[in-house]
Amino acid sequence: MEQIKACLAAIAPEPGNLIRGLQAIQTGEGYVSDEAIKAASDYFKVPVAEVEGVLSFYAQFKRVKPGRFTIAVCDGTACHIKGSPLIMEWLSDALKIRPGETDAQGNFSIEKVSCLGCCSLAPVMAVNGTVYGKLDRKKVVSILKEYQNK
Amino acid sequence: MINSNIAEIRLGTASCGIASGAGAVLEKMQAMEPDFKITEVGCVGCCYAEPLAEVITKDGQSIFYGNLTADEKCLANIFNLSEAGRFSEPEQRSSKMLPRVLKLAGRIDPISLEAYRKAGGYHALGKAQEMAPEAIVNAVKESGLRGRGGGGFSTGMKWSFLAAKNSPEKIIICNADEGDPGAFMDRSLMESVPHQVLEGMLIAAAATGATKLFIYCRAEYPMAIRNLKIAIAQINENKLNVIKGRTIEIIIKEGAGAFVCGEETALIASLEGKRGTPRFRPPFPTDSGYHQLPTMINNVETFGNIPLIIDEGAAAYASIGTENSKGTKIFALAGDLKYPGLAEVPMGITLREIVFDIGGADPENVKAVQTGGPSGGCIPVELFDTPIDYDSLRSLGAIMGSGGLIVIGKNRCMVETARYFLDFTRRESCGKCTFCRVGTTRMFETLERITKGEGKPEDIDFLETLGNQVRKGSLCGLGQTAPNPVLATLRYFKNEYLDHVEKRTCTALECNALVKVKLDQSKCVKCKLCIKSCPVGAISSDFVIDADKCTRCNSCIELCPKKAISRYPNE
Amino acid sequence: MSNSAENNTFEFILDGKTVQAKAGETVLEVARREGITIPSLCFNGKVSHTTSCFVCVVKDCKTGKFLPSCAARPAPGQAIDASSDEVKSMRKTALELLLSEHSGDCEAPCTMACPAHAAVEEYVRAGREGDWLKALKIIKERIPLPMSIGRVCPRFCEKECRKNLYGKAVSINDFKRLAADLYYREYVEELPEDTGKKVAIVGAGPAGLSAAYYLRLNGVKVKLFDQMPQAGGMIRYGIPEYRLPKNDILDVELDHFRKLGVEFEFNAKLGENLDLDKLSAEYDAVGIAVGCWNSSTIRCNGEELATPGIDFLRDNILSGCKLANPGKTIVIGGGNTAMDCVRTAVRLGAEDVSCFYRRTENEMPAEKIEIHEAKEEGVKFEFLIAPTNLRRENGKLILTCQRMVLGEPDASGRRRPVPQPGSEFDTVADTVIAAVGQNTVMPDGIKVNKYGYAEVTAGGKVEGKIFSAGDCVSGAATVVEAVAGGRIMALGMVAMFEGKELTEPYTINVSRGSWRSMSTDDVVKIHDQVSDAERAALPLISLQERKSTFKEVAGTMDPATLQAEGKRCIECSCTDKLDCRLKKSAELCGACVDSICGRKNAKRIDIRHPQIVQDTGKCIKCGICVKTCKELIGKTLLSAQNRGFQTTVSTAFNAGLPTSCAECGACIDACPTGALDWKDKNRRKK
Repeated sequence: MEQIKACLAAIAPEPGNLIRGLQAIQTGEGYVSDEAIKAASDYFKVPVAEVEGVLSFYAQFKRVKPGRFTIAVCDGTACHIKGSPLIMEWLSDALKIRPGETDAQGNFSIEKVSCLGCCSLAPVMAVNGTVYGKLDRKKVVSILKEYQNK
Repeated sequence: MINSNIAEIRLGTASCGIASGAGAVLEKMQAMEPDFKITEVGCVGCCYAEPLAEVITKDGQSIFYGNLTADEKCLANIFNLSEAGRFSEPEQRSSKMLPRVLKLAGRIDPISLEAYRKAGGYHALGKAQEMAPEAIVNAVKESGLRGRGGGGFSTGMKWSFLAAKNSPEKIIICNADEGDPGAFMDRSLMESVPHQVLEGMLIAAAATGATKLFIYCRAEYPMAIRNLKIAIAQINENKLNVIKGRTIEIIIKEGAGAFVCGEETALIASLEGKRGTPRFRPPFPTDSGYHQLPTMINNVETFGNIPLIIDEGAAAYASIGTENSKGTKIFALAGDLKYPGLAEVPMGITLREIVFDIGGADPENVKAVQTGGPSGGCIPVELFDTPIDYDSLRSLGAIMGSGGLIVIGKNRCMVETARYFLDFTRRESCGKCTFCRVGTTRMFETLERITKGEGKPEDIDFLETLGNQVRKGSLCGLGQTAPNPVLATLRYFKNEYLDHVEKRTCTALECNALVKVKLDQSKCVKCKLCIKSCPVGAISSDFVIDADKCTRCNSCIELCPKKAISRYPNE
Repeated sequence: MSNSAENNTFEFILDGKTVQAKAGETVLEVARREGITIPSLCFNGKVSHTTSCFVCVVKDCKTGKFLPSCAARPAPGQAIDASSDEVKSMRKTALELLLSEHSGDCEAPCTMACPAHAAVEEYVRAGREGDWLKALKIIKERIPLPMSIGRVCPRFCEKECRKNLYGKAVSINDFKRLAADLYYREYVEELPEDTGKKVAIVGAGPAGLSAAYYLRLNGVKVKLFDQMPQAGGMIRYGIPEYRLPKNDILDVELDHFRKLGVEFEFNAKLGENLDLDKLSAEYDAVGIAVGCWNSSTIRCNGEELATPGIDFLRDNILSGCKLANPGKTIVIGGGNTAMDCVRTAVRLGAEDVSCFYRRTENEMPAEKIEIHEAKEEGVKFEFLIAPTNLRRENGKLILTCQRMVLGEPDASGRRRPVPQPGSEFDTVADTVIAAVGQNTVMPDGIKVNKYGYAEVTAGGKVEGKIFSAGDCVSGAATVVEAVAGGRIMALGMVAMFEGKELTEPYTINVSRGSWRSMSTDDVVKIHDQVSDAERAALPLISLQERKSTFKEVAGTMDPATLQAEGKRCIECSCTDKLDCRLKKSAELCGACVDSICGRKNAKRIDIRHPQIVQDTGKCIKCGICVKTCKELIGKTLLSAQNRGFQTTVSTAFNAGLPTSCAECGACIDACPTGALDWKDKNRRKK
C-alpha cells in the first residue's frame, strides 16, 4: 500500500489525473491490483466503479501481475502482413501460454499490441520495451533463449 | 584513428534505429573512439538501411553508412571514411521526395535546442510574436494547410474558430495518439525534431490566445515522450513559452492505448481522465471542450507544418501541392516493398511514383495499396496514376488518413486483409454505438467465416449492406470509416470474395483453411530441416506432410534450402 | 420563413412538412409532438443523452448524414427525414444488431410451445400461489375447454419445459385440470353488450366451441350446428370415456357454453338438412368446423373389411360403452387413435389385442404415456410390419402382413419403412381396426386446397362470410390446436364485423434455445428457491379397474400437491416481457431476431441481491442506468466496463448492488430491457 501511495505522490490529486495515476502505479507495480484501485479511488476522488471502468477501457492497463519479461508482439498492419500471427504462434508454442497470459514460472507474459511504430522493420516484437525487428523463427528462438537465461 | 576530414558523425537512434540495433552500434563506436562525440540524431526516413550513420566532412559533404552492425570492421569503415560500406539513396527515390517538414529529421540532435535554433528553429515563433493574431490565422488559412490527422479540415478555419472565442482560458491539444497501425510519421517527427512540433503549437497559441497546450501522446512512444519532455523543459527554461506576455503551460499526457482517442471528443474525455468515448457534437470542442473550455485539436504533422508557413509565407507554402491540397505530406511506407520508411512528397504526386520509385516495390508483385490504415481503403494498381490528395483518395473509396501507406503484394489475400482491419477496428470500438459495437463484430465474424472457407454467397451482400449502414449509423470517425477496408476490397476485388465463397479457394494462397502445404519430392535433398522445424510433427520421415496435422505455419517453407515446399490450393 | 424572435421558435422541414420548433428542442421532441413515431431506447428524457442505440436515427436530407434524433437539434430551414424506407431500414438494422447480441427468453418455452399460446408460466404461478381462480382466468384467455384439455392434451408445453434437463417437466397440464375442476361449476365470465351480430358455426367440436366462446366474449350471438346428437365432436365421440368422462366432465364443461348463451342445434348436417346458402343469408358469418371424421384406409386388398378406428370409437360412445367384445383384435396404426382403439378393445373384454405398426416404437406418433399405459393393460405391439391383404375365411379375418426395414428419413423426418420382399405372413383375427389417420369430408361450396382441406387466409377466412377452423383446415390434429384455430376464426369474424382484416400483431421472441441443446449451467434461475423435488405423480386407478371398466384412468391432483409442483417451475420468461422497449421497438420496426447472427457475450446473471436481478446478456449498453444512478441519485454504483463488443455494466469489483438499492430502483425503471429488473414478476417497472 505504501508503495502504491508513493507512485501517486508526485501527481496532483484531481480526478483528471486518474489515468496518469494509474499509469504511474503500473510503472511502479507492473500492474494495477484491486488494492491499487482502491488507493487511486481514494486519492483522485473517483468512485471505484469508475476507476475500474477507466482501467478496463484502455489496453495499456494490466490487472494481473505480468511475468518478469513481457513480450509484446506487434500486430500492426505492416507486421501482420509480414507474418506476426506466426510469431505469436511460435511464442505461444514455446512458452505454452496464450496472448494475455503469464507462464507458470512467472517469467514471461505475451501480448498482442496494435503498433509499435517500427513498421519498416516488420515483423517486430518488444521484450520489456526493447524492440527486435525483422524477425524470423530463428531470431525469435534465439531471443527467447537469451531471456530464458537471464 | 579518425579520418581527419570528419567533422561530425551522426547516428540515427530513433525507435526504428534502436530496433535495428543502433544501441549496440553506438556503444561499440564509443568504445572504439572514446574521445569522439557521436551525435545521436533522429530518423532520416531510410528505415530500410538502419542502423544508419551520416558523416559530415569538414568540407560539408554528407556520406552515409548503412545497415551497420556492432562489428569493429564494419564500424571502422566510418571512422576511416572508407569507400566500403557507404550507402546512398537510389536516385529515382530521392528525386521524388521533397523533405520540408522533415528537413531537419535525422540531421540534428533532437534534444538540443541549440542545434534546432542553429538550423533556423524558433525563427518563425519570433516572427509570430510580432504578428497580429489575425495575421497568423490568415496566413495559415491562406496557406491552404489541411489537417494532417485524417479529416483534412482547413487548419486556418479551425484556428479562427478558437481565436474568435472570448474566454479567459483556451486549450490547444496536439493529437499525438498515432494509433493507426502502419503509420509512424508523427512518432518520427516527435522523436527527431520535437522542437518543430512545439514551435508550431506555440505559434498556434499566439494566433488563438490559447492558455494551455496539451500533447496527448501514446504511451507506446517512450522516446517521443522523453524527447518532448526535454524540449519542453528547454522551452520553459528559455521562456520561449512566453507568448505576447502570457506564460503558456505545456503538458504532456500519455494515452493509455485506445485508437478511438484519435477522435476529438474521445481524446478530450481521455484527457479529463475518463473513458475515451466520443460524444455527440454539437457542442463542438471549440465551444465546449476540455473541462468545457474552448478547445482546438490539431495533429502532430499539422503543427510540424506551421513554422514553415510562417517562415516562408503562405503564398510560398501554397505554391506546392494541388488546387485543394497544399504543401507536402509525409507517408509511412510499409508492406511488400524494398524501401520501407518515411517519404515526404508534394501533394499531387501519383501512387505509382510513391510505390515504385520511392518504395522500390516490384511492379510485377504489387496488387494494391492500403491508405489511411484501418479507416482507409485499398486502391488497386490499375489506379496508381491518380495524383493523390485528400479529395482524389476519397473518391476512390480510400482516405488520406494520417499517411500510412501499406503496399499489398500479389501473395496477399484481400479478404484476409479486410478481415485483419476489421479485427482491429472492432477491438478498438469504444462500444457505445450499436452499429459500430455490434456491426463491426458481425462484419468481422462474417469475414472470418469467409477466410475459413465457410462463407455463403449471401455474405457478400450482407457485408455490403451492413457496411454501408455502419458507416452511416456511427457517431464518430472510427465507426464511420471502419467498413472502408471491406467496402473498398468489395469494390475492387469482389472476385476474390467470390472465389472464397463459391469455389472455396484463396487465389493468393494466404487463407490457411483453403491451402495445403506440399513437398515436391523431386526437389527435396532430404536434409530434414523441415522435419526438425515443424512445430507439430506433421512431416513424416519419408517427407510427406500430414495435412490434418499441418497448421500452415510456414516454418518449413521458410527453412527449406531447395524451396521444395510450397502452399497449394485445397484440391 | 417566419422565424419569430419573441417566442424563440423557428421552422424546419420534417418529413416534407414545415413544422415549428422551439429553440433547444430536439428532433425527437418535435417529431413526437407532430405524431411521428420514432422509437428510442437509450434516451428517456430524464438523464443526459447517450446517443448509443441509434434506433432513433433520422436523416439530414441535405448532407445525407444520419443523426440520433434524441440529441440532434434542428436548424432553421433544415430538412429532416424521419420516416423514409432508408431511415426505417437503419432503425431495423440497429435493432437487429442489438437483438443479435441479446440473450434471454422473452417468453417461456412452454408458452411458446403451446399451440394456443396459453400463458403457462403465469397460470402455474397463480396456482402455486394458491389463486386457482386467477389461474383459471389466465388459462381461459386462450383455452376455453380447460376441463377437457386438462385431461387429453398431449402437453406440448411440457415437452419444452426446461425442467426436463433436471429430470422431468413440471406437470403443467394438471394445473389446468385442477383450476377448471375447482371453479368451472360456479365461474361464469361477464359478457359485454350484444353487438347485434350473429354467427352460425357448423360443427360443435373443439374448434367450433372455441370460436363460439370468443365470439360470445366479443358480444356476438352464436348458434352451433352439429350432425351428432350431442355437442363435443371429437372430444365426445373420438376420445374414449376412460380419458374424458362424458357425463361428469364433458357435460359440465359444455354446460358452461349454454350459460354463456351459446345455442345448439343437433342432428343437423350440411348438404342434408342444413343449407349453406341459407345460413349465409341468415347469419352475419358462417364458420365451418366439421373436423376430420373420415378414416384413411390401410390401402391393401380387402381394406373394406377393416373397421375404421374413428367409427369404432364413436360407436362405442353411442352405445354407452357397451359395444360387443371385439374378440381377437388387431389395430393397425401407431397414433393416438390407434392407442384409443386398443385400449377400448381391452375394456370391451378382448383378451388378445395387438397393435401393428410399420415403423418402430421410436417413430410412433402416439404419446409415450399412451403407449406405456396400453402396454400395462396387456396390449401387444408388433413393429415393422405393414398389411398387404385382408380377407375373410370361415368367419375369421386373415390379415397378411409384410416385414419392413427402416430406410432413409422421409419428408416428416421419420425414417421411411421399406418392405422386405418375401417376408409375408398371415395372422388370424376377429376384428381388424384401421387407425392410420383421418381426413375431412368438406361440405360442397367451401373452397378447398389440393389436400381437400378448407383454404383459409388470415383470421380463418375462406371467402365472403365463410370462415373455417379446426381439423378441417389443418388436418387431424390435437384438441388444443383446434381450440387455437377456433379462437383465431372468432377474432377474424369480429374483425370483419368491424370492417377490418385480422392481422396478427408482429411479435418477436428471443430464446436461449431448447433445453435439448442446453446444459444446466445455461439455465437461468432468478429465484434461488426453485424446488428440486421430483415431478408429482399422476394418481391412477388400479390396473384391474382400467382393464375392465371405462372409468377415468387418471385423477385430478390436489391443490397442495400442485402448489408444491409449481415450485419446481424455473420461470424461464423475461422479467421485463411486458415492458421491454427493445422488444416493443423491434416489433414496431419489423426487426427479426435471427436475421443477423453471431457470437454473444458470455452472460452474467447476478441474483445476489434479494430483490434485483442484473442480467448482462440482456444489456444493450445504453448506459442509461449508469447515468441515472450518477445524475439523478448522485451515486456511482454502476459503471461501464471494458470496451467494444465486451462492454458491460458492472458494480465496483463486481460486488453486486447494495441491499439499499431495493428502496430506489431508479436504474431499474430506466433500463429499457430486463438487464436490470425486479425479481418479482408481479412488480412492474414504473
